[in-house]
Amino acid sequence: MAEAVQTWPTRVGGAASPRGPWTPAEGATRSERQFRVLPGFGLTLGYTLFYVSLIVLLPLSTAFVRSAELGPMQFWHVVTAPRVLASLRLSFGASLLAALINAVFGFIIAWALARSRFPGRRIFDAMIDLPFALPTAVAGIALTALYAPNGWIGELLAPLGIHVAFTPLGVVVALAFVSLPFIVRTLQPVLGDLDLEVELAAQSLGASRLQTLLWVVLPTIWPALLTGVALGFSRAVGEYGSVIFIAGNIPKVSEIAPLMIMTKLEQYQYGQATAIAVVMLLASFGLMFGINGLQLWAQARTRGRRG
Amino acid sequence: MSITFEQVTKRYNAGPVVNDVSLRIGPGEFFVLLGPSGSGKSTLLRLAAGLTEVHHGRISLHGRDVTHVRARDRGVGLVFQHYALFRHMTVGQNVEFALRVRGVRRSARARRREELLQLVALEGYGNRMPDQLSGGQQQRVAVARALAHEPQVLLLDEPFGALDAKIRVELRETIREVQRRLGMTTILVTHDQEEAFSLADRIGIMHNGRLLETGRPESLYRHPATRFVATFLGAANLFLGERGPSGLRLGKRFIASGTSLRAVKGDPSGDHEVVTVVRPEDIEVSEHDEQLDSGALGAGQVLSVDFNGASERLRVQLEPEWDVTSAIGREHRAVGGTAPTGEQQIVDITRTSAEQARLALKPGLRVALGIRRFHLLPTPIASFRLLATAPATVAALRSSPLLRQLVESMQAPVLDAQDAPTGSEREGIQAGVGVIAAGSHSIGEIARAAAQGRRWLLCIPPRAALPARILIQCDYEAARSSTLRLVASVMRHLSAEATFVSLQSPAAPRAEATSAFRRLLDARAELQEIHGLDIRTDVHIGDPASWAAQLAVTAQPALVVLGVESTPSDLERILSSDFGALFSDVSTSVVLLSYTESQAQLAGVRLDTMSPLFPAQTPQGAAAAAPAAVPVLPGTPA
Repeated sequence: MAEAVQTWPTRVGGAASPRGPWTPAEGATRSERQFRVLPGFGLTLGYTLFYVSLIVLLPLSTAFVRSAELGPMQFWHVVTAPRVLASLRLSFGASLLAALINAVFGFIIAWALARSRFPGRRIFDAMIDLPFALPTAVAGIALTALYAPNGWIGELLAPLGIHVAFTPLGVVVALAFVSLPFIVRTLQPVLGDLDLEVELAAQSLGASRLQTLLWVVLPTIWPALLTGVALGFSRAVGEYGSVIFIAGNIPKVSEIAPLMIMTKLEQYQYGQATAIAVVMLLASFGLMFGINGLQLWAQARTRGRRG
Repeated sequence: MSITFEQVTKRYNAGPVVNDVSLRIGPGEFFVLLGPSGSGKSTLLRLAAGLTEVHHGRISLHGRDVTHVRARDRGVGLVFQHYALFRHMTVGQNVEFALRVRGVRRSARARRREELLQLVALEGYGNRMPDQLSGGQQQRVAVARALAHEPQVLLLDEPFGALDAKIRVELRETIREVQRRLGMTTILVTHDQEEAFSLADRIGIMHNGRLLETGRPESLYRHPATRFVATFLGAANLFLGERGPSGLRLGKRFIASGTSLRAVKGDPSGDHEVVTVVRPEDIEVSEHDEQLDSGALGAGQVLSVDFNGASERLRVQLEPEWDVTSAIGREHRAVGGTAPTGEQQIVDITRTSAEQARLALKPGLRVALGIRRFHLLPTPIASFRLLATAPATVAALRSSPLLRQLVESMQAPVLDAQDAPTGSEREGIQAGVGVIAAGSHSIGEIARAAAQGRRWLLCIPPRAALPARILIQCDYEAARSSTLRLVASVMRHLSAEATFVSLQSPAAPRAEATSAFRRLLDARAELQEIHGLDIRTDVHIGDPASWAAQLAVTAQPALVVLGVESTPSDLERILSSDFGALFSDVSTSVVLLSYTESQAQLAGVRLDTMSPLFPAQTPQGAAAAAPAAVPVLPGTPA
C-alpha cells in the first residue's frame, strides 16, 4: 500500500475510532493513520454483505428452499430421470467443449489483437463484444439460419454427412459463440502486458517458436487462460436463448438443462424445476472451485515457493 | 574479426535509425556502444543478435555471414536491461534453458548450471524463483543464462540500467571479470560514460543513427573529432579559435605556437577558424596572470563553486574584453548570455584537492585562467555565418529545417552579418560556413564570397525541406580532401544516407569511365581511413545539368555537396552551366559548396577536358577545344 501521504500526530492510548476518512491502515502502528478516498472499513463491508445477500444469496437460497419441498426421495427421482440426466450431461459437456475450443481460438484472437497492428483492428476488436451485447435469441436465429440443412453453411455440410442444426454439435456452436468474448477479454490485457523481451531472450537462447510458446508464453498466461475458460464455461452453462433455436430440443439428444427447467416451470412443477436448478448450481460451483484451485496452484508456481 | 558490421542500415518509417554503420570488433574485445537515448545503439545490438532485420549491409560473426540467419541460430548470448528472466522457472531452470532447448541430457545440464552459477557467484540459488532475488542477482542470472550455450559473442543491452548505483558498480566488476576469464567478445550498450570508461577496451559513440567515432577511451577523451563527442564524453569548454601563421589564437591572449599544433590529428592546413576543446581539468586558475604556469587565456569572475568530494567544480565568467568566443551556439548553452551580442563566455573548470589547497576560491573573486592542454576538432564547420542582410531572408535562413538540424546536432553557433566580427574576421580570415539564400543572384554572391576567401558555402532555397539524403559530387582530385572533411562533418550530424555520385556522360571514353570509378573508390577509402565513416557510391549516366535539374525538383530532397576546384572567376561559370538549377529559389535541394582555389593553368585544363564530354552545355568558345589528357593521374596522392 503506497498511500502513506500524511501521518496523524501521536496520541498515546488514544482510541482509534474510525470516523470520517481517517482510519488506521492495516499493519500501521496505532500512532499513524492514513487518508483514504473511500469511507471506513465498517461501512464498506456492511454494504458489501448486504448487497451480495440481496442480489445473489437470497435468490439462490430460495432455490434450495423450494427444492426442499420435494423431499429427498422425490428429489433424487427427479434429478436422475433419464431425460434430465441427458440434458445435464449435454449442458455441461457442450459448455466445457465450447470453452476449450475457445481457449484455443480465443487465445489466437487475443494474441492477434494484443500484438498486431492491422487495418480494421479496432473494428475487429469491437466485434468481439457483439455476443455480449446481442440479445441471444437473435444469435440463435442467425445461427439456425446458417446451419439448418438449407442454410448457407448447413447446405455445404449436409452432403458430407455433418449435421449441425438440431444436434448436440449445434449446441456446441451456439455456446462457442456466446462464450468467446469472455476468453478473449480475459486474455487480451495479459497478453498485452507480456514482456516481448522475454520471448526475444528465449529466441536468442536457441528456442524455436513452438518451444517459446509452450515453455515461455503459455506458462506465463496460464492463470489468465484458466480464468477465461472458467468464465466462458459458466456463461455457456447458463445460456438459454441462443441454444433453443439451433438445438431443436429433441429429448435426450439436444435438450439442454436450462430448457428442462423452463419445461418444468411451464408445467407448474416448481419443485422439480428448482431441483434441477440446484443440481446445476452445485455442479457449477464445484467446477468453479476446481478451476480456481488450479489457478491458485499455477500462480503459486510463478510467484515462487517461499518458506 | 569476431563481429563485423558492413554498411549496416536499419530504417523505421522511412528514417534510418542505424545509418551506414561499419565496425569491426576483434576477438576477446570488450566494445562499448555509447550514446544518448534514441541514437540507435540498442538497435545496432539487436541487429547483431538477429532480433530485427537489416535493410542494407552485412553482419558477420567470426567470419560467418549471419545477416539473414535467425536469432536462434546465431549463437549469441543476450542480456536485457530488465533481465527478461522466465518468471515461472527457477533460477536453475532459467540458466539451463538454452541447453534444454538443445536437448542436452539432464546430468550434463546440471553440471553446466552449477558451473555458471558459480561463475556469477550465485551458488545455492538454483532452486529460488527469480522474484525472490534482488535486481543485481537477477541480472547475474541473466548473464549466466546467456552464457549457457557457450555463445561466440555476448551482447549486453543496458544491463545496469535498472539497478541502483552501488549494485551497478558490483555487477560491472562481475561482468568485466567474467568477460576477461572467458575471453569473450562482448558488446555492451549504455548511455553512461562512466560505465563505458570503466569497462571498455574500445568505445563507439553513436548519435542520430551514426557511429560517430570509435577509439580507446583515453584517445576519444583526449582527441575527439566532433563537438558532440567532446561534450558527451565528459565536460568540455569549446572555444572558436583561429589558425594563422603564428599558430593558434583564442581571443586576445592565448597563443599556441605552430610546433605544438603539429601533433594535432587530422590537422587541416591553411588559415581558418577552428574549434578548440579544453577539458575542465586542463584549465589553470591563479590570482594573477604572472603566477600562471600555462598560456594565459584571460581573467574573469568566479560564478559558482561546487564541492564534489574528490574535486571541485568552478564556473568562471570571462570578461568580454578578452574576446573569447564559444564554439557552442548560444541556444545550446546551459546558461545563455544575458547580453545580446557581447558574448558572456562561461568557463567550466575542475580542480583537484591539491589545487584547492593552494588557492581557496569563493564566488565573486576575480581569477586569471590559463590553458594547460587543448585539442583542435578536425571539423571545418566551426560556425555558420549568415551572409544575407535583409531581415526577412535572415529569419527564413535561420528557420530553415536543414540549418536548424545542423545547428541542433552540431551545437555550432550561427552568427548574423550584423554580429560583431570575430577576431579572425577582423584579421581578414573568412570564418566558418557562409550561408546564403538561393535565388537568381545566389551564384554571383557565391562567387563574390569565394573571391573574398570563403571556402564553404551553404545555399538554402526558401522552401527546402530537411534533406532525406546527402549526395556528394566532386570530380576534382585537388578538391576532394577538403570536400570529404566537410562531408564527414555534415554526415555525422544528419541522419540522412550519404552517397558519393560520379557523373558520366554516355559519350565518355572508356578511360574517363575508369578514372571516375577509381575516384569513387578513392573517395570512399579516404572517408573510411581518415574519418572512419562509410558512404555509398553511385554512378549517374548523363550530364551534370540534367542531374542538377532533376535534383532541383525531386520529391526526395537532397543535400548536394559539391566539391569544386577552380579560380573565383571560373566558379560562377561552372556553377551556372553545370548546376544552375540547384541554385534557383524553387529548388527543393540544398547545396553545400566546398570550394578550393586552384592555380589558374590547372583549372583551365580541367575545363577544357570537360567540354567535349558535355557539348550541349559548354560555352561556345570552349566547345572547340581539343580533348586534353584527363588531369586525374594514377597514383596522385590526396
